[in-house]
This record gives sequence, structure tokens and C-alpha cells, in this order.
Amino acid sequence: MKTIKLVLVATLLIVAGFSANAQLTGTQIIEKTYNRATGDDQTSILTMTLTNKSGQTRVRKIQQFSKDMGDTEKSIMFFQSPADVKNTSFMNWSYDSDKSDDQWIYLPALKRVKRISSDSKSDYFMGSDFTYDDLGDRKLNADTHKLLKEETVSGKVCYVIESISKSEDYIYSKTITWIDKSNFVGVKKEFYDEDEDLLKTLTITKVEEISGFYVITNSKMKNVQKNHSTTMTLSNVKINTGIAVSMFSERMMMRGM
Amino acid sequence: MKTKGIIITLFAILSQFAIAQKADISGFVRTYEGVNVESGEFSIIQQTLNLKFEKRGEKVAFKANPMLYLYNSDSLQLNLREVYMDMYFKNFDLRIGKQQVVWGKADGVFITDIVSPLNLSEFLLPDFDEIRTGVIAAKIDYYIGNSTLEAIWIPQFTQTVRPNTYSIWYIQPDFPVSPTFDWSKSSINPSLENSEIFLKWSAMTSKVDFELMGGYTWDDNPTMHVQKQLGIDSTSVPPSPMLTGLTITPEYHRLAVTGGSFSTEIKGMIFRGEGAYYNGKYFQTEDPTAADALIQKDYLNYVAGIDFNIGSVKLSTQFIQKYILDYNDDISENKIQNTATFMARYDMMRETLHLELFSYIGLSDNDALIRPKITYDFDDSFSILLGGNIFVGDRNGQFGQYQDNSMVYAKIKYNF
Repeated sequence: MKTIKLVLVATLLIVAGFSANAQLTGTQIIEKTYNRATGDDQTSILTMTLTNKSGQTRVRKIQQFSKDMGDTEKSIMFFQSPADVKNTSFMNWSYDSDKSDDQWIYLPALKRVKRISSDSKSDYFMGSDFTYDDLGDRKLNADTHKLLKEETVSGKVCYVIESISKSEDYIYSKTITWIDKSNFVGVKKEFYDEDEDLLKTLTITKVEEISGFYVITNSKMKNVQKNHSTTMTLSNVKINTGIAVSMFSERMMMRGM
Repeated sequence: MKTKGIIITLFAILSQFAIAQKADISGFVRTYEGVNVESGEFSIIQQTLNLKFEKRGEKVAFKANPMLYLYNSDSLQLNLREVYMDMYFKNFDLRIGKQQVVWGKADGVFITDIVSPLNLSEFLLPDFDEIRTGVIAAKIDYYIGNSTLEAIWIPQFTQTVRPNTYSIWYIQPDFPVSPTFDWSKSSINPSLENSEIFLKWSAMTSKVDFELMGGYTWDDNPTMHVQKQLGIDSTSVPPSPMLTGLTITPEYHRLAVTGGSFSTEIKGMIFRGEGAYYNGKYFQTEDPTAADALIQKDYLNYVAGIDFNIGSVKLSTQFIQKYILDYNDDISENKIQNTATFMARYDMMRETLHLELFSYIGLSDNDALIRPKITYDFDDSFSILLGGNIFVGDRNGQFGQYQDNSMVYAKIKYNF
């Protein structure tokens, strides 16, 4: 579980707000993607549908809030379903500096907010096909980015960026990202395993402009090796509603929504 | 039959009330069967219905959480675990009613977590949310930035629930002669003078979370006042005094407790600590001059723990020490009691299969409770759990004393 910022940046990097520039490097393109304007605060309902190789589905529903506070971004998630995780909440404070995130979880059965480690960025989020890193929590400078080529996908001319981790023990040997050249919105992304075989593909299926900001509202991650997938849908997205700082507190984690 | 009728009627009324109020209804149904590994007899046959009725508004909320336990085929028990109302104000919240309160940072041990007493009728085996009992209390939380000042007033004392004498978890005390029990002082009359008060200041910050607490409470466990009756053994030469009888008077005493806890992350690991100073605890003593075979001492109880990951395996370990201050050798308990806990958990198959091992290890007594379990989420609502509770080691230890009760069990649970 990580933040919401992530869910929005979710799946891969959308961008916005400026026109294409032919001289941009891979790093600059990714930088502009990460640094795009997303508003001062956001709220939405995230629905994740997990589909296994037999076609059976499981659904997770989460109400989420996030707020950009300058050098700190705070987010909080309230789990609404399934029943066994209902009223569980999760809070994340992430920092522009190199400081690692602070994270807490509230389990209603234990009636206690517990600080947890933010060290497991390669873990999968709630049994889905998204790792925390996939959800956007990965630092920009953790990878080297290289512009490979330009390519047309679904009628859109895209930059194709290869990103390779600077750390040798990362779960992906590389990722390749297609970014719409006209508006810097992500189109798709491929994830390669340690043997450099294709592991997962991420497809952005819907982008909406809400309150002047681009938001990915539908995406699908498919594990091509194990043939299971996860779709993410954002609904009731609201931006710049003036969420109070007090929302991101132990008080609200325990009270719930 | 009459009791069953009352319980079922109460459930029906609560359900109707909840529906009328358009309250949120959730909970679970669970079947739990355990078999003694030596005798093959059932240790437990339990069916549970847990109902939670909740309604939350912007300024007020209520919750009622009755739990219905059916043991074997005929013993029905209703436990109204919580029933309270919340009022939310700008800077403070108020909760009134029967509620469970959880303090501290330790897992599976209770050091500053002393507001809600424990139900030890099945030792430490139930889930931790079912071990705690609710207390009737008024609780106020006042918020200042990232910190909270919490005050709790409990007008009526609630004691620890002990196993019944016919329970497999009941340990018969060893007396040199058959004792007589005097139960006349085994309850505390509810009054302002006899109420309990707790205070806590806590904060969550980017560097560390901490709590500082204090409580003027009652010892949740009764002190056994022992009075000896002596006679003369005329068969010995010369005649000598001999023990002819014991009168044991269980009585609750006041206890003052102060302590604190913290947790912080360092290089991906969570470090936790918790400790408390208990003032005025009565201990059994073999000093023949001590009144009622008791002596009053203070003691410390503290824990240090660490949570970390190796790959995708989540690990946690804790060291716990109880230390009696100003100790003398006549005290029945050891001066120092060391315990450790260990937990490992691994989730697989897209978090549908969970492997877990949790252990209490008695370092002073060389005994342990080992609790492996495997849970499979058949779907989002339905889970099957297979596990074991294995007691090993010294039969005088707090875990080894139950080694005849080692069991394997299955729990099937439906959440709604």
C-alpha cells in the first residue's frame, strides 16, 4: 500500500502540461512525467479487480485522500471491501528528500495504529499485480533512463524510454515506457524479470481531465508469465477540495470513514 | 433454555434496531475445533457469531458488538464485547460506554496495555481482539497537532477472567492442606472512590511514535491472603506445632502504574520499546513473619522488539523482562523473569495463502508455546485455517505447565 499520488501517477506516468520537445533526453522525459501538476489535494475511490488465470475475480475497494504539503506528501487509505479488511486504514508520508517514507497501518481487530516498514517496495499491493514501486513510489534517480526511439501506438506517436535500476538486486532487469509525445501522457509500460524476459505489461485504458489535471482513471496490469491481471479504476475523483491536514492523523485512521 | 431464549431475543432486538437505524452490519461466522494431540479428545468445539452494528455520522456514532459463542452443542454464551457512543468535536472526541482500549507498542504482551483486562479462560490462545474484555468507561481524546492527550475514567472495576475449575486451562494450586476460601472480599463495589483513572499522552511524528501513560487502577488479578491455622502435633516427641488449616481470602488491591512506549524506523527496520513501573504489587512470600504470607514490592516490566523483512518474509522478535525491585529470596516468584517472542509470516499465491509461526519462549523456565498456522483464503469472505498450539518445556513454567494441552485445530471463517 502506498500512496495515492501513486495511484494517480499510477501505473505509469502520465504527464501533462507542456508540448513535446524533440531534444529531450530519456531522463528529462521521465522527469517531466513525474513532476507533472496533480493539484494540491485529491480524493477518489479506487477499485481493484484481480483476475486469476481461471478468470475468477476478487475486488478491493478503497477510499483514498492525498495532500501535497510542499516537501511532504501525505496520503491515507480506508479499505471498504472485502469484508475481512473493512475499516482497515493505511497512512503514508513521503518526502522529497532521500528520507524513506513513514507508514502506519490501523487494523480494527487490534485497535491500534502500528508503524510499519516502508522497505518492501517490491512487495505486491494487496495481492494485486502492482508492486508499491509500480504505483509510483519509486524515486526518479533510482534508475537510469534512456530514450530508445519514437514509435506509434494506438495512433499516438510516443517516446519509448528504457529504465534500468542502478541497484543490481531490483526485481526488474528493466522497464520500457511508451509516453505520448503530444501531451506526455503514459500509454503503456513493459516490465522485464531478472532473466530479461517480459514479466508484465501495463496498459493505460482511460485518462480524464479533471479540474484541469490529467488523471489516469483506468489501467490494467497483466502478468504475461502467470496469466493473471489487475485492473484499477478511479471514480469520484475530486481535486483541490481543501482537505484538512488533520485528515492525515492517527485520529482519522482509527475513526475511519 | 431460559438463558438461550433471552440471548436470542436480545440478538433479535439488536438486529431490528440496527436495521431500523440503517446501521452498517458486519461480522463473521466461525467454527473452531481443536483436538488434543496426545489423547485425541476434542479440546474445543466452538461456534461463533460476531455481529458489529455501526453507524457513523459527522458528529456522532455508535457501535454495538455482541458475540455469541456456542460451546459443544449446548453451552451458549453471549459476550457484549463493546457497546458505545462517540461524539466528535473540533479538537476532541468523547466515547462513552463499554469499550476495549489498547495501548502500547508490544505484540502479544501486556505492559502498558492495562486498561482493558484480559479473558484468560483459554489461556493466551484466542485472537488478541477476543482476549481483551471491554470496560465501561468514559474516554476523552484531546488533539494537539500530531499528539493526543487521552483520559479514561472507569467507574466499575472489571477483573481478569480466569479459567473455570473444570476447564483444561485451570491449574489446581498446590496446598499442603486442604484450604478454605473466603470470597467475602473478592469484589469491588462500584463507587467514585473505587473508580480507575488512566492518562496517556501520545504522538506520531516523522521520526518516532511514542506514548507516555499513567494509571491509578486495581490489580486485575486478586491477591491471595493466606492465614494459617496451627495445632500441636502430639504424636511427635516433643510435641511440635503443625499446620492444620489454611484460609485463603482473594482480595483486589490498588496499583499505580506509569510507563511509556515508542516505535521508530531505522534502515527499513522497526524498533519498538515499551516499559512500565508498577507500584505496590503484592507478592506471595514464604517469610513466616509476613502478614497473610504477602509482601508488597514494586516491579518493572519492559520489552524491546524489532520488526524486519528478509525477502518477502516478515519477521518480528521481542525480549520481555519482569524485574522485581528490592527483592528478597522469600518471594515465591523469581526476581527476574525473561520471555521472548518470535514471529515469521509469509504471504503467497497473491496473498491468498498465509504461513505464520508465532512463539512465546520462556527464557527463565526453558519452556515455550509454539503456534504454527496456515490460512487459505478460499475467496474474499471465506478462509480456512489449520494450526497447532504446542506447549513444550518445564512443567513449572508458564507455558510448559500446559504441555498436556498441546493441540491441533481448524478454524473456518466467513466474513460479511
